[in-house]
Amino acid sequence: MSVNVKSREEILEYLREVLVELFEVKPEQVVPEANLYEDLDIDSIDAVDLILKLKELTGRKIQPQQFKHVRTINDVIEAIQSVMAESPTA
Amino acid sequence: MSRIGRSINHVWRVFATGLVFVLFGLGALFISLTIFPLLRLSTLHADVARRRIQRGMQRTFRVYIELMRMLGIMTYELHGVERLREPGRLIVANHPTLIDVVMLVSLIPEVDCIVKRGLWRNPFLRWPVIWASYIPNSEGEELIERCAATLQRGHSLLVFPEGTRTVPGRPIRMQRGAAHIALAADADILPVTIDCDPPTLFKGNPWYRVPERPFHMKVTVGDPVSSSRFRREGEASTRAARRLTQWLLAYYGASEGEHSNQDQQRANSAASAAPIAPAVS
Repeated sequence: MSVNVKSREEILEYLREVLVELFEVKPEQVVPEANLYEDLDIDSIDAVDLILKLKELTGRKIQPQQFKHVRTINDVIEAIQSVMAESPTA
Repeated sequence: MSRIGRSINHVWRVFATGLVFVLFGLGALFISLTIFPLLRLSTLHADVARRRIQRGMQRTFRVYIELMRMLGIMTYELHGVERLREPGRLIVANHPTLIDVVMLVSLIPEVDCIVKRGLWRNPFLRWPVIWASYIPNSEGEELIERCAATLQRGHSLLVFPEGTRTVPGRPIRMQRGAAHIALAADADILPVTIDCDPPTLFKGNPWYRVPERPFHMKVTVGDPVSSSRFRREGEASTRAARRLTQWLLAYYGASEGEHSNQDQQRANSAASAAPIAPAVS
């Protein structure tokens, strides 16, 4: 099984598409330092939808607690990377 | 009224307001220890008890409102409140004062409410809120699910989309929870507008600072709106929730002066997307 490693840029690009599609944010607002809640107006319910959507990228179930400390786009990217780096579980 | 008459009236209303607060606290304690346990014991069926206790809440709050009217603290007028009796709707309201919930519950025979979760640890009030099947204000997703479930069972649910009382002079801010609930339950929304003139018991205003004259509360129930009209084919429900929230903000007259540029732009684009925006007049 090949581990599907993606670069930060690829993840950011994917995130940008998803955030525009789900939350109507402007593409140029999706920068690593943007705060999800304050800058992008994404609330806790939105976060649930976001996590579900990210499953399509990672191909793996993401536990909400892995996203608990996520505040910025950069945090999301790191969380996705760590999910994808985990050895696939049965 | 003469100057002396006015100041006597002022002192009286400070006293009467304090009295109502004390009676509210003592009354809640008394009823929680007597009438509500009896209502709970009056049936073996939890759901029958829920309805009886919710009706008990309505009557109790009715008494408080009439008491405030008779004491000369307030007057009120009601428009279209018979619509509040239709079950299974998400009843939303703006939140100018502390007594909005007392007023609205007094007008709805059976309604579920979202209540501070701290009450579930209160030795006196925890049983009434449990028996009435009130919903604790838990975190995001869990709260939305509970609220949607109660609507799907055909109960009415009262929600203040602002999440807290309005701060006078500041634009209305809304959370999207109400929209998420309506969409999750596919429920109709019944918007209620509360006007309070002069403003009183608003956020940050202590109870003893009574207004210059008795306050007048006006409750206006609007037309029900189906949440499904905010959905669009092949689109994420997160977008529908944003559109519905913008509609609510516009309904309550806050489409201008948003708290951020971003929302301002959204409000504008929502306003220009005429087909989904029902006429508000």
